[in-house]
Amino acid sequence: MIIPIRCFSCGKVIGSDYRRFESEINQIRSRNREPTSDEISAIMDGLGLERYCCRRMILSHIELIDEIMPFS
Amino acid sequence: MSSTREQKISIMEVRDNFMRFEISNITEGVANALRRTLINDIPKLAIDKVVFRHGQIRDSMGNVFDSSLPLFDEIVAHRIGLIPIKTDSKMNFREECSCEGRGCSLCTVSYNIDKTGPGEVYSGDLVPFTGNVELKPTDPFIPIIKLGPKQALLVTAEATMGTGKTHAKWQVTSGVSFKYHREFKINKDENEGWEKVKNDYPKSVVGETKEFLTITDDYQQRGVMNFINTSTHRSVINQTKPVEIMEDKNRFIFKFETDGSLSAKETIKIALLRLPGRLNILHESIISPD
Ligand SMILES: [Zn+2]
Repeated sequence: MIIPIRCFSCGKVIGSDYRRFESEINQIRSRNREPTSDEISAIMDGLGLERYCCRRMILSHIELIDEIMPFS
Repeated sequence: MSSTREQKISIMEVRDNFMRFEISNITEGVANALRRTLINDIPKLAIDKVVFRHGQIRDSMGNVFDSSLPLFDEIVAHRIGLIPIKTDSKMNFREECSCEGRGCSLCTVSYNIDKTGPGEVYSGDLVPFTGNVELKPTDPFIPIIKLGPKQALLVTAEATMGTGKTHAKWQVTSGVSFKYHREFKINKDENEGWEKVKNDYPKSVVGETKEFLTITDDYQQRGVMNFINTSTHRSVINQTKPVEIMEDKNRFIFKFETDGSLSAKETIKIALLRLPGRLNILHESIISPD
């Protein structure tokens, strides 16, 4: 739907990190290739997402807010 | 008994929102009590009451917007509550305040959001207007909701002090953990490679006796961690034959981070002040069980 504000498990604020993560991923995609898993890992390290509970919040998120916008 | 020896705290690493420190000669029980105090007994400010303006909303140009949102108001209110807000630890709990629960500048900060679509609403749009107006959200880029064209969000909110016991939005810390101090003990006779290990590691993590070489992963300075994590040094340790892992059950290594509402230093100070009170409650309830 929309990125949760905090990690479900530990409570770290991850809402703002998702946008930063997205923009770095898009930067790589603009070079016409998909980011490698090592690059994704490095981006998350750079954002200070150390524990895997916070990492999965970002990694498994699907932004669906634009999909439901027309039905509000 | 460990309690007969002197208790000592030494700080290993400290940043604005992160801290790692060692406490020696306490029991596991006290260590865990401190961990739980850090998690759920540090008072902080969080938004507790959100009032939505429903119906038509007009902006200064006279354009008409609708107050319906892509998400339910309850979800938006919950999201607003979870935003970390810079906290003044001198503020009172509302029920203990001199205003007798009515809400005053000593216990309450009011905020409003006035945003029209299309576009995204961020935590930075949360503007304090009564109480201490310095107490803004710590991170202005947390998305709250997305507004479509002709949609608007007009909200007033009140933040009060609370603790993590009541709700996770009043939880200052995350990733609070402690472990025993740990040393890797390498027998010199059985490992020819010990001298290479000794020379490769920073001096601060290496100890030596006649028979043994000890390495600890509880380092003092920053940067050593990255050094230890390099695969070359992992392989040195793995190749050497018997490496004994020793844990010292009197030395506890803590680490925690905060959400920015309080600094790590402030947080540990408050925790250590509140811990004796919590232990006294336990003590009293043992003496006079109801
Ligand atoms: Zn987490």
